[in-house]
Amino acid sequence: MTKPSIPLGLVFSQSGPYAMMAGEMRKSALMAVDEINQSEGFDFTFTPHLRDPGGVVAGYHTACADLIREERVDHIVGCYTSASRKQVIPIVERTERLLWHPARYEGFESSDNVIYVGAAPNQHVVPLVRHMLDHIAIDVFCIGSNYIWTWEMNRVIREIVTSAGGHILAERLLELGETAVDHIVNEVVDRRPPVVFNTLVGESSYAFMRALHAAASRAGLSIPMLSCSLCEPELKLIGSAASVGCITSSAYFESIEGLENRAFVARWKARHGADSSPSVDGQSTYVCVMLLARAIRRAGSADVGAVRRAAANHRYDSPQGPVWVDPDNNHCFLTPRLARSVPGCQFNIFWEADAPERPDPYLSNLDLAAIGTRPGKSNDAMTKRSTHLRIVK
Amino acid sequence: MTKLSPFSVRGRRALLVMRDERDIAIVRRQLSRLGMTISEHDPAGPPPPNQAVDVILMDADAIPIKSDQATLWKGSVPIIALIGTETPSRLKWLLDLRPASFLVKPLRSAGLYTALVVAFDSAQRRVEDAAHIEKLEDRIRSRRVVLSAVLQIMRGHDMSETDAFALIRQTAMRHRTTIEVLSAEIIAAGGMPNRTTRTA
Repeated sequence: MTKPSIPLGLVFSQSGPYAMMAGEMRKSALMAVDEINQSEGFDFTFTPHLRDPGGVVAGYHTACADLIREERVDHIVGCYTSASRKQVIPIVERTERLLWHPARYEGFESSDNVIYVGAAPNQHVVPLVRHMLDHIAIDVFCIGSNYIWTWEMNRVIREIVTSAGGHILAERLLELGETAVDHIVNEVVDRRPPVVFNTLVGESSYAFMRALHAAASRAGLSIPMLSCSLCEPELKLIGSAASVGCITSSAYFESIEGLENRAFVARWKARHGADSSPSVDGQSTYVCVMLLARAIRRAGSADVGAVRRAAANHRYDSPQGPVWVDPDNNHCFLTPRLARSVPGCQFNIFWEADAPERPDPYLSNLDLAAIGTRPGKSNDAMTKRSTHLRIVK
Repeated sequence: MTKLSPFSVRGRRALLVMRDERDIAIVRRQLSRLGMTISEHDPAGPPPPNQAVDVILMDADAIPIKSDQATLWKGSVPIIALIGTETPSRLKWLLDLRPASFLVKPLRSAGLYTALVVAFDSAQRRVEDAAHIEKLEDRIRSRRVVLSAVLQIMRGHDMSETDAFALIRQTAMRHRTTIEVLSAEIIAAGGMPNRTTRTA
């Protein structure tokens, strides 16, 4: 007996500035679709309909309009940047469809027609800044790509750091895709900040990390670097030496212990090669498809209203651990983690939240006073400050 | 200058600083219905030097926050901000431009007229408020003059401060002049000017 088929829209750019990330996401979506289709646990299959907006913002609206009109999809998994998501929201709201959005983003949005599966700002940047204040330094040098992600990350960093008595030593921006980084590398080496917060994306980030590593090594410096977006496939692109030592905040790392992740990584490597690694955005895309499939099964229908209700508070033990949708804001409960990149293009996780954290897309519950007045914090940070420059020969 | 009603938008000139073709089409159609004239300007370029327009519709997301151009738009022409991204970093930038009103994207034909009326009204109020504040500031600046005049009258007429001020105020009213102008005359004349004695 053949199972009924449900059309599923997948919108990922296969060219343009973030094609690498979107390619990983597309691969992960198709892997999840195949697993659902082969599983006896589901009495339906997904028929994926792929669209490639080519990294052009306006292309996302066209792609989704076409998927809804021509392929009659109720559910779309896709988008990487906020600009692309903002293109899609009007059409899914108007036609009462659901967009399942995998990527972490800067927050300050909550549409009834989007399920936000990537981390919200309280789940990515806040734990990282808190760690920085407690264990590294209270003064920070910020470098990022000149767009919404960096602008908003820098605002949050500034707010927390300033309330803790620290300073933003500099805020340097590069245009998206820019790889001429020497002037900023020189400035970092000259000024020797206690820590660098890197919100560059794509090639800009790889170029900066390679160049800073080389320059700092020549100068005998070791300057800690922080990131909210680095992932394993990127470590490979950056190169094994330059990619080491970056403290990264993410809900997913390949090195997460746990049966679900071990099995997921094994299936990933069997499908994509022993040398390949799943990325945080790829894994999150996989989670999108799985959350959707489970909600459809629970609802007994792909109807958007029924699926939204069925997805709410329904726990899924994913590779990254338990995940469920918070119906208050359609974002997900996720477990924030901090890790240090180590040789071999992997991450060594050194902290994770005790339990999945409630999403707070508007940072309404961010208690600056609590971060600023943590017992022992400022003394601790001051002593740490004086020892931040280690001579590595 | 004749004061235009904010409700009459016919004949006013709008400058569109927008990127999204669908949004531009909606705005063009609606503004044409309202009888406004429309020109466009590329958000990527610097502001035109001579903004001979009555209102600017600006897609906030089309202009990078950290760019030199951002602040160059600040001026006397009321700005209607078209908002997509609601992050505080973007809104902070927007507030610095002092928008006269705003619309949330995606745009619809409804709402545009309200945004125009609010923009024209708040721009007019801004002009009036500025004039009012200037007047008040003038008055504060001349307080020193008034104080000197009061002291002069107190000494010359052996009056209390309250009585001296009351006399100046009543005299100014009788002569249909301001307290500030009369005070300047008192100081110049070294006492109450002669004309005060002429009144009944």
